[in-house]
Amino acid sequence: MKRPVAVVGVGQTHHSARRADLSIPGLIQEAVDRALLDAGLEHKDIDAIVIGKAPDQLEGIMQPEQFLVGALGAHMKPMIRVHTAGSVGASTALTAATHVASGLFDRVLTVAFEKQSEGNAMWALSPTLPFTPPLVAGAGGFFAPYCRAYIAKTGAPPHIGPMTAANARANAARNEYAHLREPMTVEDVMNSPVLWDPIRYLETCPSSDGAIAMVLASEEVARKGPRKPAWIKAGASFAEAMWVPGRDQVSPRAGRDCVKKVYDAAGVTDPWNQIDTAEIYVPFAWFEAMWLENLGFCDVGEGWKIVDRGDQKFGAHLPINPSGGVLCTNPIGASGMLRLGEAALQVMGRAGEHQVEGAKLALGHAYGGGAQYFAIWIVGSEL
Amino acid sequence: MSNLRNVAVVGFAQAPIVARDEHNTAQEMLYPQVRRALAECGVERDDIDYQIAGSSDYLDGRPFGFVAALDVMGSWPPRQDLHLEMDAIFGAYYAWLRMQAGDCDTAIVCGYGKTSEGEPVRLANLQLDPYYQAPIGLDLISTSALQASAFMNRARVSDRDLAEVVARSRAAGARNPETQLRSPASADELAATPWAVAPLRQGYLSPYGESAVCLILAAEGKAEKLCDRPAWIQGIDQRAELQSLGARDISRSAGAELATQRALAMAGLASARDVDVVEMTCATPAEDLILREAIGLDRGSDSPAVNPSGGPLCGNPLMMTGLIRLGEVFRQIAGKAGDHAVAGTRRGIAHGASGHCLQQNLVIVVGDERRWS
Repeated sequence: MKRPVAVVGVGQTHHSARRADLSIPGLIQEAVDRALLDAGLEHKDIDAIVIGKAPDQLEGIMQPEQFLVGALGAHMKPMIRVHTAGSVGASTALTAATHVASGLFDRVLTVAFEKQSEGNAMWALSPTLPFTPPLVAGAGGFFAPYCRAYIAKTGAPPHIGPMTAANARANAARNEYAHLREPMTVEDVMNSPVLWDPIRYLETCPSSDGAIAMVLASEEVARKGPRKPAWIKAGASFAEAMWVPGRDQVSPRAGRDCVKKVYDAAGVTDPWNQIDTAEIYVPFAWFEAMWLENLGFCDVGEGWKIVDRGDQKFGAHLPINPSGGVLCTNPIGASGMLRLGEAALQVMGRAGEHQVEGAKLALGHAYGGGAQYFAIWIVGSEL
Repeated sequence: MSNLRNVAVVGFAQAPIVARDEHNTAQEMLYPQVRRALAECGVERDDIDYQIAGSSDYLDGRPFGFVAALDVMGSWPPRQDLHLEMDAIFGAYYAWLRMQAGDCDTAIVCGYGKTSEGEPVRLANLQLDPYYQAPIGLDLISTSALQASAFMNRARVSDRDLAEVVARSRAAGARNPETQLRSPASADELAATPWAVAPLRQGYLSPYGESAVCLILAAEGKAEKLCDRPAWIQGIDQRAELQSLGARDISRSAGAELATQRALAMAGLASARDVDVVEMTCATPAEDLILREAIGLDRGSDSPAVNPSGGPLCGNPLMMTGLIRLGEVFRQIAGKAGDHAVAGTRRGIAHGASGHCLQQNLVIVVGDERRWS
């Protein structure tokens, strides 16, 4: 990056299954107003807007950013719409960061949303292609074999997924914005029905209505702001082809390449000990152990042992998803940006009841497609 | 603006626009263009740092349609990548920004999509706000007709004037082997076609065909090695406007006007009349005239040449029409425009648009000389 970029404002909606009190523009405005207020800025201060969301089919509106120009405050401003499948929230924020890093924009508003109650996400994500038998029902049907492959490769015991899910709920109970906050035990999860073997109902992310907005700014703007910013130490988005013989779907190379680029740029050589907390994209519980390995927090086959020991719990060595993560809040298009925004809040010291004490360096991560798209940033409390 | 990086278009390949390619998927159409564009620059995919694409899930008829394009774009080993749900010319804009940020030196920009697999005119109804505008059944042609009507009333433009605009484009399109409508049509013939939605006649509508395109951008230091006559980006700007047809004056394009002024200022030019060629995204003859006004061109003048490729009125493959405009200006500057070359072209403007009635506009000024030293 040519010049430093900081997060100077973060705002998110209260997420729930159905925000019947708000239209889609209303949902956007709840997040945008909170982010601008947080940054001490107004719409007139914003130079450009970068918005992302997952497939337009989820709400049934094609390129909805076009009718949302008013809610975004984008009239007569540059606007970019990003879509990189599940990773979109994260790649959208990184696209906004590039706008500032380029030197052409000093204050960029970035927004991601999904109002899943407007449609039916499971079926919107179950396309039948011409001449292809319909094999999957929703993302769970697609990703269950990835989880089975992980279990087969590593010998992880069956309680790892349920432990991860119960821990996510314990975390979400401390996050006032989260969608699912009711605590549940490992037994509760074990007793819930299997939807797509090995994924049980309570190991599955919900469908949520929600949005998040951030204001990213140049160093000069950030230093003048009302609050301590989060500095973007590094960020990258990678994607890989689907049809590659021998492609490792459990620990995709695009994820490994992406995080290596980010670690190298941020000067991280020992992520397990240098990173204070991470918000990673876990839509189905098994992915927490899988991504711990893919992100280099441990060796291959060791991710489930971290979960088994509880070293990733709130208050433990490396708290993962202290917000409760995707398992408790999943407005799909916004889920990636929530990870990056929550990482920023941690190093700003403003994560509220789920603040990781003394967090100075945090990682935010999202993935998408058939585990093909990865977008990651590391933010720090110091430039 | 003294600290910007010089970035150029160095390669461009386009599948000939057709109403319907019955034999190839969108990805099968794209793959040869990626290979041709790389071959034009004499490089392999590993030599390119960054990839970005523009397409639409709705036009594709499925969610995540763009994921399938990763394979034909050469995404192994994994690539630094982005996909925009926009016309691919916005991908060129963002790749340029990335080069300004120092994050890459070279990029491929792809656009693809098969309009023949759906009904783009009706589909565009779903672009409108779902509360007030979509429920009344507006589609791409009816909003364009409202825009044409508003413009004709304000600017005292006649049905005959519109027919002549289309006839000029059709005459130009006859010289472009890669556009869709390649037969000339006289203003008399066009003015005799039935109404589509008044005041637009069927002969005035752009054909929504399909194609696939790949454009290559490179920063100074690399660009010279990939192309003998790179088309250097000298100015660039984009603006969005409110969608609601009642919230803006659709007889004008305030967004195109501001984007042009900003791009020209960045390029150090006083007027769009200082360029030799303008390729612009006009889906109707009324938009042609609205854009001439917004960009600052005389209505009847042939200098600069406007849409010498025939423009979108001869071929309008959605989600890549804008990127083709940039590719066409590159061809004019690089001496690769063949029969539709505008002799002596040294500088041009490429304009991309998105949404109903020119809601989003992007303007890029390119020339045969570097802008910044």
